[in-house]
Amino acid sequence: MEWNKRARRESCDVSLLLMGVGFGLITASVLAIASVGLTLQFGVTNFVNFAYGEFLTIGAYLAYFFSAVANLNIWLSMLLAALLTAGISWLINRVVIQPFLKRKAPLLILLVVTIGLSLFLENGVQAIAGPSFQQYVTAPGAIVNIGPMIFTAQQLVIVGIAIVLMTVVHLLLKYTRIGKAMRSMSDDPDLARISGVPIQRVTDLAWLISGFLAGLAGVVLAINVTSFTPALGSQFLFIIFAAVIVGGIGRPYGAMLGALLIGLVTEVSAMYIDSAYKTVVAFAILVIVLLFRPQGIFTSRGRV
Amino acid sequence: MAIVSFPSSILKVTNLAKSFGGVKAINDVSFIVREGTVTGLIGPNGAGKSSVVNAISGFTQVDRGVVELAGHDITNQAPHRIAARGLIRSFQIARELQKLTVLENMMVAPFQQLGESPWRALISRRAVMREEREHLAAAVDWLQMFNLFPLRDEYAGNLSGGQKKLLELARALMAKPKVVLLDEPMAGVNPTLTKTLQGYISRLRDQGVTFLLIEHNLSVVEAICDHVVVLAEGAVLAEGQMNELRETEEVISAYLGG
Amino acid sequence: MSSLVFYLLTVAIFFCIYSIYGWGLNLQFGLTGILNFTYITFVAIGAYFAGVAALQPGNGGIGGQYILGWHLPFPIPPIIGGIAAAILALLVGYVGLKRLRSDYLAIVTVSVGQIVWTLIGNITPLFNGWDGLAGVPQPFNSIFQLDFNHYQWIFLVICILFAVLGFWIIERLTHSPFGRVLRAIREDEDVAAALGKNVFRYKMMAFVIGSIYAGVGGALTIAYIGAFNPSGFTTMETFIIWAAMLVGGSGNNRGMILGAFIVPVLFNEGTRFLPSTPGNPLLAVSIRGMAIGLLLILAARYRPQGILPERKTIFRLDGLQQGGEVGGDRVVPQ
Repeated sequence: MEWNKRARRESCDVSLLLMGVGFGLITASVLAIASVGLTLQFGVTNFVNFAYGEFLTIGAYLAYFFSAVANLNIWLSMLLAALLTAGISWLINRVVIQPFLKRKAPLLILLVVTIGLSLFLENGVQAIAGPSFQQYVTAPGAIVNIGPMIFTAQQLVIVGIAIVLMTVVHLLLKYTRIGKAMRSMSDDPDLARISGVPIQRVTDLAWLISGFLAGLAGVVLAINVTSFTPALGSQFLFIIFAAVIVGGIGRPYGAMLGALLIGLVTEVSAMYIDSAYKTVVAFAILVIVLLFRPQGIFTSRGRV
Repeated sequence: MAIVSFPSSILKVTNLAKSFGGVKAINDVSFIVREGTVTGLIGPNGAGKSSVVNAISGFTQVDRGVVELAGHDITNQAPHRIAARGLIRSFQIARELQKLTVLENMMVAPFQQLGESPWRALISRRAVMREEREHLAAAVDWLQMFNLFPLRDEYAGNLSGGQKKLLELARALMAKPKVVLLDEPMAGVNPTLTKTLQGYISRLRDQGVTFLLIEHNLSVVEAICDHVVVLAEGAVLAEGQMNELRETEEVISAYLGG
Repeated sequence: MSSLVFYLLTVAIFFCIYSIYGWGLNLQFGLTGILNFTYITFVAIGAYFAGVAALQPGNGGIGGQYILGWHLPFPIPPIIGGIAAAILALLVGYVGLKRLRSDYLAIVTVSVGQIVWTLIGNITPLFNGWDGLAGVPQPFNSIFQLDFNHYQWIFLVICILFAVLGFWIIERLTHSPFGRVLRAIREDEDVAAALGKNVFRYKMMAFVIGSIYAGVGGALTIAYIGAFNPSGFTTMETFIIWAAMLVGGSGNNRGMILGAFIVPVLFNEGTRFLPSTPGNPLLAVSIRGMAIGLLLILAARYRPQGILPERKTIFRLDGLQQGGEVGGDRVVPQ
């Protein structure tokens, strides 16, 4: 985005900062959707899904198929892609993960399985769609100025989607029975088991929601970075990890705040240093949190 | 079971307190364990017995209070440091090292083995082997005592529940501890084996090993404990000998009756 | 020399190198239960540092931007490579191994892999950026002055020497009290801690020693190929080694040799000849990646202990059964 850079050079300090905040809000929106999906699944199943990045990739490529090949509107494509990714996520849990859980496979083996899955899926996407860069055919829309912050209409839609999704997740966790069951499994799995929480249903739902959010996050991520390859998700994964761990792993609200923090800090820092290094900033935050508050900075009691 | 003299305290717990997310697991617990005795820690479910054991052995950090082992302050030290000072604990559910053989489980226990340093393992093979022979001899003695010797080359994960409990006790003793903390050593163990374990513990006590044990089965407590501490709601409710405690009204209402 | 012999020599050399990689990973995962999902980054660091230790000083121009440039003779660069990987492991281990569940270290390793890759690619003055290093001198060939074909034999001998030494060390460590503590930690960290073992310290040692194997293996790789760049360390490379370990037998160093033969040699070489399609130049690579991923899942599902499982330790007890006479101060039943 050429105009971003030009604008960057021309602005003074305060507006530079605010502009960074603007970009940060967009990144934070993408990151929040992705992080909540990962952390919800972790909360229920108590293991990290290292193939989660590929769920984003799959979402992005499915939307590409719907929009570029089937000529559907990008937002409709996004919805379809997210739904399909949810189905794939559910299926993967049932076909690949569950057999290991049934045999009480150790955590280490489970993690190796998800990383094997990640390799399989990323290369699967690459085998089908090819390794070259892809891009959605969409117009970024009108440019909206809010103070020194510059957004495209498309970016504002992304922020809006994130806000809506976070609200929905909040309502789900707070007011529905299944949401409460998810929280109780996350807080104390043994207690949940004894008190008759329908483990299987909650687990299925967690994978569905996780896949839905991942697929959707993949599409908005792809829109945001404009062009993407099958490595889209795997390269973004550790930024998701950073947000999730900052917020305390397994905690949806923490992940939202973590996403906001990581989004803002990386984009503001990109105003002052080479933007190639903004992932380094996310990494630095991850390291600092792991060293000093491994349970996350927004939680009083961790799951460590 | 009368104590002939009054031996000095080897483990001293003073004003211990710990809460988890606002819930007080240990409120204010103080007691002492005298050297060469078997001290029982009893109380209803949720009284904080396991929390006390975890706090003493360094597996949870306490908010307040002091734990002293043979005069040294060990409060909130890392578990391995506390163990190295001579306090070895067992776990409520037997935690054998599954894919190690029974004998290997025993061989892990001794402190500061020469060959635990990778460098020494590479270059001082002879000295390491010599030390291994010494530890092996001790391990064989213990296994024979606990009737586990025929199972020495079996993976510990393949043992029965009761055998695992025995192994855990034997492994703890292999570390030559000053104090052994046993978290429900008889739970899930059949009556015959319970009798055997009781016998072992009493005999070891007579040889100078100190025990602190959590136990639900009050007849076991009565049979082997020289001194009993009753916990309820995270605090010490009463202490004394079991036959006295049986008559205490508070204890009856808090524990024996309910 | 026929091209077949040349090819077989190449395969034999990589077989040795993959075995060395594998032993390091096996020490970390198979013995200690440490999840290192970016093992190849430690290989890469070893390769790079060994490379710049062996190269002439960089000229600072295009293709010549790198640090050190010490032009050291052969056995030294692999040592430097090993030390470099060990230092990286210390840093990563300090963040990821302390009082955390095993997921956290895995997350840290995944992140470190991405970061190191980004940094090496973007900071050109370090190791010449995305173009990587080239023209790294072949060990001893300034003495022998052989052409590449005949030099293969020399290099194979070097690799075999390294592999034999590596095997000897790893076997000794595995079957020592040190290895026993590592396995105890793998089975149950709390029990190991309750028996007075400093779990963090042991995990760190296993992590560092395993990384030294990675670094030395990387040093051999760059010495053999003469070049290395960031595209040489992909996630897939890490998981080829993982698959080799799981298939061969985690916790068994002989199984690791078998795994290094089955996965990187048979499997990888076998799929190398998949036809490339004009529409998708990386199709063969993608399919290989899928296959490695699938292999990991299937191995974990159907034979997690590998073809050659960890061997049971049987102690020889001759002369000890009687008990009593050794350590007389101990309690002995009446």
